[in-house]
Amino acid sequence: MDANSIISSLTGKFPEDIYDADIESDIRVIAKVKPENVVEVCRYLKEDLSFGHLCCEFGADYPDRNEIEVIYVIGSYDHPVVLTMKAILPRDAPEVESVVPVYWNANWYERETYELFGVKYLNHPNLKPLVLPQEMLGEWPLRKDYEGFPNKTARNLV
Amino acid sequence: MDEIEQTEVEQNDVIDVGYTDVPGTMLTDSNAICDFIKKTKVQDVLNWGRKNSLWFMVNAMGCCGVELLATGMAHYDTDRFGIIPRNSPRHADVLIISGYVTKKYLPALKRIWDQMPAPKWVICFGDCAISGGPFYESYSTHQNVDEVFPVDVFVPGCPPRCEALIQGFVELQKKIEAKKDKGTDY
Repeated sequence: MDANSIISSLTGKFPEDIYDADIESDIRVIAKVKPENVVEVCRYLKEDLSFGHLCCEFGADYPDRNEIEVIYVIGSYDHPVVLTMKAILPRDAPEVESVVPVYWNANWYERETYELFGVKYLNHPNLKPLVLPQEMLGEWPLRKDYEGFPNKTARNLV
Repeated sequence: MDEIEQTEVEQNDVIDVGYTDVPGTMLTDSNAICDFIKKTKVQDVLNWGRKNSLWFMVNAMGCCGVELLATGMAHYDTDRFGIIPRNSPRHADVLIISGYVTKKYLPALKRIWDQMPAPKWVICFGDCAISGGPFYESYSTHQNVDEVFPVDVFVPGCPPRCEALIQGFVELQKKIEAKKDKGTDY
């Protein structure tokens, strides 16, 4: 399947949930997804379109639009296409369904995104701290309005 | 209670075990024999032995760790200086901080340092260990590692070559010989 047929298949199956689908190049497809139905879309992608490889999952903060995007980059071993799927969440209460039941390797990606951006994953099997030290939990350091950076340069910096 | 706290509690238990009850034993804060030897020429002989057996801890922390590992390989033959990589902190004399120290990693590094038997020395290897490098303003980097550890030698570079690390060891040997190092109390 090439990029066009993947977009038409996705929008044909989920006309309500997939919007702003676009082709960036021959091998990159970008689409936005409603956060309520991320798991269903991912299950359709994995089981019917053989997109079996979640390359990564991460967040992006847009304070001027008051949005936090959760971005899924999904690759395939059968088609030469990488799909970038974005779920847009409100910034004050970002909550999205976990895709661990579909892609098991999303477990640590979601734990890391939860710590660094504060995106709460519903029905995650093991949402406990992964990368941050104990005293920094709950500060969401990768958000744009994070203030906790050291305000002095290192003494030894020449 | 996490692992580090548990270790501290165990150490305190060992200290409080009450050896003073055993007749004929005595606990002192400082070792009088060592303090006496430091004033004599015997210390020169001891330092000669110490400076020629600087076993370092293999603790590759960042990309400089690759150079650290390469230094221990056969090509540079660091055995001729007495520099041997050791995999256990209980065998090691030198701790090489070879990368950025994050706030999460600092307790583990302190624990390695506590496990090393004295006399022991620290080498800051690479820009990240010295000042944080490109990560100096990051939310997770611990700045100014030399406030935590008594660093003797700084080896700048991003990353430094293996020869630079050997040069750092030679400088450390010179400091030990001149009794200027921070690893021993003079």
